[in-house]
Amino acid sequence: MAPTVSAVEQEAQPIWHGEGVTVGDVLAALDQIRFKFGRAEAGDAEHIHPRNSVMTLIGIAPTEPLEEAAKRTTQTIGMQHAAQAIVIREEAPIHGRNLDAWITTDVRRPEMACAVECELITLHVHGKAADHLGALLDPLLVSGVPTYLWWLGTPPFGKRELSDALRVCDGLVVDSAQFVEPYHDFRRMAATLKVVHHRLGLSDLQWSRLRPWRESIAQFFTPVDRRGFLDGISEVGVDYAGEGRGNRIAASLVTGWIASALGWKLRRATAGTGGVVVAMYEHGGRYIEVDFRSVPQGDRVPGEVSAVRIAGASRGTTFRLSVAHDPPRSRGPRQSEREWERRGGETGRVLLTLIEIGDSDPLRHVQQLEPEDQAALLLELLSTGTHDAVFNRSLTAASALMDKF
Amino acid sequence: MKVEEAPNPLAEGLHDYRIADPAVMIIFGATGDLSGRRLLPALYNLAKQRSLPAGFAVVGAAMNDMPDDAFRKHASDRIHEFSRTQPIDDRVLDAFLSSLSYVKVDFAQLADFKALAQRLQQLDDANHIPGNRIFYCATPPPTYQTIALQLQASGLNKGPGFHRIVVEKPFGSDLQSARELTQTLQKVFAEDSVFRIDHYLGKETVQNILAFRFANSIFEPVWNTNLIDSVQITVAEEIGIEQRGAYYDKAGALRDIVQNHALQLVTLTAMEPPLAFEAGAVRDEKVKVLRSIRPLIGEDIEQSTVRGQYTSGWVLGEQVPAYREEKNVAPDSQTETFAALRLVVDNWRWAGVPFYIRAGKRMPKRVTEIRIQFKRPPHLTFGREAMKEVDPNAITLRIQPEEGISLKFGAKVPSAGLRIRSVTMDFQYVTSFLIEAPEAYERLLLDCMIGDPTLFTRADEVEAAWTLIDPIENAWGSDRPPLQTYAAGSWGPDAAAKLLQADAREWHRP
Repeated sequence: MAPTVSAVEQEAQPIWHGEGVTVGDVLAALDQIRFKFGRAEAGDAEHIHPRNSVMTLIGIAPTEPLEEAAKRTTQTIGMQHAAQAIVIREEAPIHGRNLDAWITTDVRRPEMACAVECELITLHVHGKAADHLGALLDPLLVSGVPTYLWWLGTPPFGKRELSDALRVCDGLVVDSAQFVEPYHDFRRMAATLKVVHHRLGLSDLQWSRLRPWRESIAQFFTPVDRRGFLDGISEVGVDYAGEGRGNRIAASLVTGWIASALGWKLRRATAGTGGVVVAMYEHGGRYIEVDFRSVPQGDRVPGEVSAVRIAGASRGTTFRLSVAHDPPRSRGPRQSEREWERRGGETGRVLLTLIEIGDSDPLRHVQQLEPEDQAALLLELLSTGTHDAVFNRSLTAASALMDKF
Repeated sequence: MKVEEAPNPLAEGLHDYRIADPAVMIIFGATGDLSGRRLLPALYNLAKQRSLPAGFAVVGAAMNDMPDDAFRKHASDRIHEFSRTQPIDDRVLDAFLSSLSYVKVDFAQLADFKALAQRLQQLDDANHIPGNRIFYCATPPPTYQTIALQLQASGLNKGPGFHRIVVEKPFGSDLQSARELTQTLQKVFAEDSVFRIDHYLGKETVQNILAFRFANSIFEPVWNTNLIDSVQITVAEEIGIEQRGAYYDKAGALRDIVQNHALQLVTLTAMEPPLAFEAGAVRDEKVKVLRSIRPLIGEDIEQSTVRGQYTSGWVLGEQVPAYREEKNVAPDSQTETFAALRLVVDNWRWAGVPFYIRAGKRMPKRVTEIRIQFKRPPHLTFGREAMKEVDPNAITLRIQPEEGISLKFGAKVPSAGLRIRSVTMDFQYVTSFLIEAPEAYERLLLDCMIGDPTLFTRADEVEAAWTLIDPIENAWGSDRPPLQTYAAGSWGPDAAAKLLQADAREWHRP
């Protein structure tokens, strides 16, 4: 489950700022800041405490609101993991030649350990420098710890700008829920898998949001006496928030995950009006029908999965599994970008699972959903690493399904 | 043991998420201290992490009569008070409490166990549970055998599904009683269904000993007699015996700490690499270590062990009474509150490397650590004068508090001359992973539900440990060596220091 994180209570103020500077100037400032911190925290008889960092997290933000979101999130992550964070705002209106920079530090003093300084370096870049992000970033990276690139909004898949930045990174994190053109951007993302270097892991916060759903579904089939149900699945239904076609990425990922795990082959898929999709998979001579439907739900982020139903029969026993958000919340529509952030403060969201086996009464099971703010999802993802073979194969299967629409 | 017949393909890639089959957990002693402080809060936190499967149910069983709602209220109160995660999530708690029920069980009454069986059958039917049962004995150790035999007499140890029993340390008070307990438990349950909890093994930092040793290639080549001089294991507590006087005065430090916690640390430090982090492989290697420890007999015991009892003194700035002044302790008690041992592991890897263990109460602070002391360099390249402030290299595995690992090495003092001083390179969990680790019981309860016994103690481990401890207990019972005293707030009696001085070594100050 995603770790619980607390939001940053008060925004820290930069302790260094430079306009029209070079990366060398930023490095010199960092050296001074680190020396002062080490000296101040060490006692008279102690040596300077070594810097402690488990990763470098780079956020690329194309707009000011996203830059602010990236700063908040990276600072929150710094409260949990001793990380160096770099936030880059592209094509920002800058005062100097190519680069304006700010350095903010956040000192954590655990009760039983030496202090930790988490650094946030904010860079505003303009012009050609933005096309050569690798050159900008490389000198700033902490040696020997993994570097993750979190691209907010829609990454420029297939463009030099992205490939140059990926050169110095171990993982790329995106949020397909934020893609401007879900259908095209998702397929471009899937295509990126084929061209990135072998060290690079690709991750999607949308996939992380599906984790509780995957857990609940997997849990149903875990008892050995229910394992045979996997070969008896005949119907899968996925509801997602939206009107008309909407954003089908999450629904496709759920389907791609199940299909690729169970070895289903996609035979055909048709998309009707009103968001309805019917896909037919085949496995071992059986056909499995998968239905998507968009359900207008003003209180949810467009594309968010709201229910998954799986039904079938095995050895004469019928089964039906239903996993759904409960209860539906009643609030007006809002912009998705802000909605995911808002989830940070939300508690009490649950998944309701209903299990029906044979003629017995339905068994009800309630499971908590952690707040789905970006920091929590990102932290969970970065804690486990960005190399996820299950995601990769689910992405490939989901992309193949989308190709048919 | 193979836990699953075939893996669930949908569970692949769910990191850290281990899914148990639906089961009923029956907690004997459900209204007691262990249940309230540890088990119920741990189960609530497992529910919060979505680790309890649909249909999972808990049945509280204890001597007093109590309706279900009163037990739920009791559980709710304990969870609010002792849960690691706060604030309590009402929806998770409500859902968890709805899975709780209560049955009065007098362990002497077979009829009560039959009533329990009826309740379990009802839960099976309602919750799609295929007869899976976990019987948790959160009761005093003398009741374990009674409970097991009553489960057998009422047929609760048989039927479809799995049937597991969980017992808490101490597993017997000597080799004979441990064997009797094992024999009784094994009459009723298969050995792989007996889960003996030593909660120490559920601690993240204890498990990290294995990760440190076997997930890195740079330490294992030096982890042997060629470079290691000695190993020191310290399990110190600043507290006294609190409310446990009656138990402790019969047990003492050797039985309470050394026989289990300290010997577990010895095994994890000294074991050979297991083929995999899998129950059989890990426990086989641990047992090999215990069997390789040279038994202390006769004069060895007087030369290689120290027992002590604290007198009044000052701990953490407060004056504390002597052990013999504690509640429920005999005024002329000969029970040791401190034990120190020198052990030798007779195998190729550890030939000539002494393992020093000390465990005690009312020590200056609470600390558990393993110190791997390395040999001095074979040649003093920089001369004796330059090296006079350099200690030999050491790796310290800190189990609690300040969980982490330190490496001590020599470095040149920045100055015109050539002087070397010891410096420490520190890794601290809390500054690298600022995330709170789960409670040991959460890990162990889930392991038990899944049927993974890797972090539980096997019968032969228990017996091997008692085989080492029994002769020492017997000699100590004959006042060999004599009981020493130490002031509360000190690191034990002088004899403990002399134990190492005799080998030209000294205890590390934690």
